Amino acid sequence: MLQMSVADFVARGTDLARVRRLRGTSAEYERAVWKKMAGLGWLGILVPERYGGLGLGLAEMAIVARGLARALVPEPLTATAVLAATALSGAENEALKREQLPRLAAGDVLPALAWQERAAELDPAAIETRAMPFEGGFKLNGVKRFVAGAAQADAFLVSARTTGGVVLLWLPRDAAGAQLDLEPLADGRSFGTLRLDDALVPRSGVAASGGAALEALGRAFDHGCAIAGAELAGVMERALEMSLDYLRTRVQFGRPIGSFQALQHRAVDLHIHKELASAVLEEAVAALDRGPAAPARAAAASRIKARCADAAARITREAIQFHGAIGFTDEFDAGLYLKRALVLTAWLGAASWHRRRYARLSSGVRT
Amino acid sequence: MNPSSARPDYNAMSDEDFRREVRAFFEREYPPYLRYILHRARWHDMKEWWRKLYERGWIAPNWPRERGGMALDAGKMVIYLEEMERHGVARPPDQGITQVGPLIMRFGTAAQQEHYLPRTLSGEYIWCQGYSEPNAGSDLAGLQTAAVLEGEYFVVNGQKIWTSLADDATHIYLLARTGKGTKKQQGISFLLVDLKTPGITLHPIRNLAGHEEFCQVFFDDVRVPRANLVGELDDGWTVAKALLGFERLSIGSPRRPQYALNRLEAVARAKGLLDDPGFLDRFIALKLDIEDGAALYGRFVEQVKRGEPLGQDVSMLKVWTMETWQRLTDLLIEAGAEQGVVAGVHDVAGVEADFLNPFYYARPATIYGGSSEIQRNILAKTVLKLPG
Repeated sequence: MLQMSVADFVARGTDLARVRRLRGTSAEYERAVWKKMAGLGWLGILVPERYGGLGLGLAEMAIVARGLARALVPEPLTATAVLAATALSGAENEALKREQLPRLAAGDVLPALAWQERAAELDPAAIETRAMPFEGGFKLNGVKRFVAGAAQADAFLVSARTTGGVVLLWLPRDAAGAQLDLEPLADGRSFGTLRLDDALVPRSGVAASGGAALEALGRAFDHGCAIAGAELAGVMERALEMSLDYLRTRVQFGRPIGSFQALQHRAVDLHIHKELASAVLEEAVAALDRGPAAPARAAAASRIKARCADAAARITREAIQFHGAIGFTDEFDAGLYLKRALVLTAWLGAASWHRRRYARLSSGVRT
Repeated sequence: MNPSSARPDYNAMSDEDFRREVRAFFEREYPPYLRYILHRARWHDMKEWWRKLYERGWIAPNWPRERGGMALDAGKMVIYLEEMERHGVARPPDQGITQVGPLIMRFGTAAQQEHYLPRTLSGEYIWCQGYSEPNAGSDLAGLQTAAVLEGEYFVVNGQKIWTSLADDATHIYLLARTGKGTKKQQGISFLLVDLKTPGITLHPIRNLAGHEEFCQVFFDDVRVPRANLVGELDDGWTVAKALLGFERLSIGSPRRPQYALNRLEAVARAKGLLDDPGFLDRFIALKLDIEDGAALYGRFVEQVKRGEPLGQDVSMLKVWTMETWQRLTDLLIEAGAEQGVVAGVHDVAGVEADFLNPFYYARPATIYGGSSEIQRNILAKTVLKLPG
């Protein structure tokens, strides 16, 4: 049902020409398409019903993300409807949640989560951004990096450290003292760098603090990893389909190249990796939807991200090789999938990082 | 012995109750020194266990109740196999139960069923498989062993090879060429042969582990009664092919590699190898390869439990599980360093470890039951629909 509506949306509402048109632009995605996605309920999948969402789980979100990723849909589903939505849903500030979550689900406000500060530092508690108490609110100083979905974000959920611990703050994009720069990514999208220079947040903008803030950030990160994995699954599926079509139809030496055993066996190995990724994704997402404690949640998320990243990397690289010279052209679509896989692999932690986190959690190894 | 009327209907039990009962029986009755043995179990190792299973009516989980089996449905069968693997229960020389018995039930005459099935169940008849030949391995249909009909007897000449546990067996089931056809799969017949028949000689073959688990079997004017033909003359390929599906699921179970992984983890911990980031990266990648393979296995198990037939895609499970198992035993050898190439069981800082036997045991896994290359050919053609 959900799968079909995603497929229908992809068939009618988006195509790779739009993806090509938007890549490298500062717009990155289209608000009109975002509103359509909201109309289908997708932005509110993870938002509780009492805040205007559907109150569904990651299983449903994974179906949507996977289907949209097959078409490389550039709207920031994972960044906003998973990372930001999960963080805000886990916040303590009822007034803020009642105000912003329904708008997020409706596509009227598009927040991004600004939590990370250094490359390869993925502990949500590793925060150097300072929040100084000031006239009933906070004054923010620091730099947030690698913010996905930032291009047209209306607001940021910013993590910061106070003398009393960690806080999560709602910061409108146009707040004084906040400046956003965009870094161009391989896939034509961008990471935002948010520079905070005495940016002011009123007390009403404190979403969560202390343990609740860290828990909300940790859950958002893990759920983001899981749905980034679902996106990688969609990317690898489509890339492998393209490769198999080519193997069946491209004729050299008087035969379809897919009749050569050397290529057949490589294609089979890619298929096995794709099936493994899909099996892990479904099993671990179901486990996440049962609401496990933080260590089990982290282990499940890392399992997904590690497997999906490796499988997608392998499949999209082989897609270029299978296609030969045409695969190396910008005109041919295989490259779009390779580049999307590159970004999704690096974002929210590479496979090797996730494997090490899994080792810590499953074998009690210090790494 | 073995009255079918007294036997419970296991399929009516809840999965949990059934699992508990199987587990308790294995834990209570299975000889501890035979747990997780690192070679094919021999008849002299296993005959006591066979007798216990037989007396309980559990030797043939796949057979119907009226034949003395447990008549387990697919879901219960998976549980039975999972519990065997969980406890490290070895497969006895059970080809009569898993292979030829079901074929006789399906294709055999009433007389064959009456004669062979009870004796197979009780362990009086122990079977081995006569399929492969020196020039017919992966290309099994290229087999040349000839069975020429003379009156009421087939006269069999030729040789079979890689016949597992032939020297434990009393009987062999055989594919032999009885005619010519337009395709090489035609003209093959399926015969049941008593290994005491004059003209049969066995030569054990020593494998890399030093064990004599398989044999060469020579047939020199061996006279086999015509009544021992199963199925139609020249149609033995159909008979042999009927046994697929479930076997490829159980062969792809992650339990054996999981056991090997636990050994590797214990050794690595004892030697402090998990503190070495290079080793740790490889170890954890393998651990995830096994756990993720278990997720894939779980999908096929669910399919079986829903009563859906397994497709050709189950081949991927065998490729992945067996190749992962091998890579794991490769790392185990490496973890052993100099000790890794010394035969026998070692004491590694209080952990018992055998390095070489697991390595040897995993080697043929990508060869038997259809090599990895054959499985990949199957997947390429039937699942990926790549051109031939």
